[in-house]
Amino acid sequence: MQVTWILPDGTTRSAEVQPGRTLMEAAVANGIPNVHGECGGSLSCATCHVVVDPEWIDRTGPLGDFEDAMLDATETARAPTSRLSCQIEMSADLDGLRLVVPGG
Amino acid sequence: MTVWTPTDDGHADLTSHDAFVDGVPHNTFARLRRDDPLHYTEYSAGRSFWSVTRQADILRLNRQADLLSSAQGIRIEDQTEEEYLARRTFQETDPPEHMMTRIKVARAFSKGVVAGFEPQIRDLCNQILDRALDCGSFDATREIARELPMRMLGIIIGVPASDLPWLVDKGDALMANTDPDFTDHVLDRMTTDAYRLMPFNSPAGAELYDYASALMARKAAAGDTDGVLHMLLRPGPDGSVISDTEFRNFFCLLVAAGNDTTRYSIAAGIQALCHQPELLGQMKAGGIWETAPDEIIRWATPALHFRRTATRDFQMHGKTVRAGDKVVYWFASANRDETVFDDPFRVDLARQPNAHLSFGQGGPHICLGMWLARLEVRILFQELARRIAAIEPAGPHRFVRSNFMGGIKTLPVTVKAA
Ligand code: HEM
Ligand code: FES
Repeated sequence: MQVTWILPDGTTRSAEVQPGRTLMEAAVANGIPNVHGECGGSLSCATCHVVVDPEWIDRTGPLGDFEDAMLDATETARAPTSRLSCQIEMSADLDGLRLVVPGG
Repeated sequence: MTVWTPTDDGHADLTSHDAFVDGVPHNTFARLRRDDPLHYTEYSAGRSFWSVTRQADILRLNRQADLLSSAQGIRIEDQTEEEYLARRTFQETDPPEHMMTRIKVARAFSKGVVAGFEPQIRDLCNQILDRALDCGSFDATREIARELPMRMLGIIIGVPASDLPWLVDKGDALMANTDPDFTDHVLDRMTTDAYRLMPFNSPAGAELYDYASALMARKAAAGDTDGVLHMLLRPGPDGSVISDTEFRNFFCLLVAAGNDTTRYSIAAGIQALCHQPELLGQMKAGGIWETAPDEIIRWATPALHFRRTATRDFQMHGKTVRAGDKVVYWFASANRDETVFDDPFRVDLARQPNAHLSFGQGGPHICLGMWLARLEVRILFQELARRIAAIEPAGPHRFVRSNFMGGIKTLPVTVKAA
């Protein structure tokens, strides 16, 4: 299953991601810049912020209350389809997902 | 990978604060990482505990807050339920309860918001350096490292500058409660338990409680209700509010957690400048400021450890940790792990990646103040490097007597202004 990250400089990076892995783990494993995941997916650092391609947002699952609050603590201001990527698990539904990595 | 060359027998008693008076007993940690990464550490003053010393093991465990709980104490000492309840902050809670408080203050300490302090911090740094550099020879911990976080604390919690030295003395008495230089109530030498319900077992906790109440009353009277402290008082998403005790404990936590840690990061960085002369030139040349703060903070590792308690039995490295056992994450060891860091005993300002654990990375309690600390460290060293031509030791440095707070408490230096 494939995920594509669109980097701040406009280039793209794609990687195979196993189902059940979080998109933060996948980004860190693939060295995607600006996705650090410093709290290990504990919803405490907001350093795994991504903006989901609006066409995919419905398939990424619901936004929890804590995630919603932590999205106000991201480095780059949140967008309507912002998510913390440690809260999204890879699944067959998400094959082909496109994520924009915020920041400069 | 650097091969560890021991300079002593590598058998320091990790439960003894005296084993840390000449700095972290790195020989012991190197031996444990290699031979016994989950070491059952005998503790004569309380229940023995497991010492986790490898970086990868701490990362793996720290994220599992359901297995390794913060809700029975986070330092090695044992606490009764009564003591725990009286002294706890959100740092001693587990998710999801922990998140209820964390989300209230997360934005105020986020990278983006904290970046707004940059001009103010630069200004403070230059005021501090104006005074210190005039002296030529001075104690860099006292004159530089101690000053910046103290003054930032004043800005963040909104207290008058004249109160700051008092507040910081009290914070020191909490964090360094095992060093007679910082407290008259040295924890492991105390015979009375009169303060056991106070933060960090310290009478300073009681004084900070009173200060917090008076401060909030003053702020309320002045209509000043939008600081960090007030954010904490707002109801959470489920309508819950924090108790009085919890609020006062959080106040103590801010005074304690943000001060000594940042101070000792700055001190360790200055000590590194003295002992690795090439660093000053690298700082002057620039180009390392994205990575240098984390390397300085790795080098310093002010929080030597934090503790958790196992909620279920589990196996690791062929041993069984039982429910109720204390498990100590030795960040001081993880940050010198030779399987993670090339040449871990050298400061490399360009180190990248730098998977250090000084901030308790990898778990829900990752330092709330990490962006502020990184920013303070960066700006202080940018200004220091710009303003000096040379710096050298002017005598031996001395460490805090503590197996919890790692820091150089006196650092005599001589500087030549640029
Ligand atoms: C270089 C400086 C600093 C270091 C090395 C440091 C280290 C740490 C560590 C290791 C933890 C995790 C504790 C655990 O796992 O139980 C932590 C948590 C915390 N730190 Fe820091 N800290 C620093 C600066 C600051 C500053 C400047 C502040 C505030 C102004 C601060 C406030 C806190 C708070 C409130 C927590 C508790 C977070 C939670 O439980 O969710 N720290 N810090
Ligand atoms: S990894 Fe920290 S919030 Fe997602």
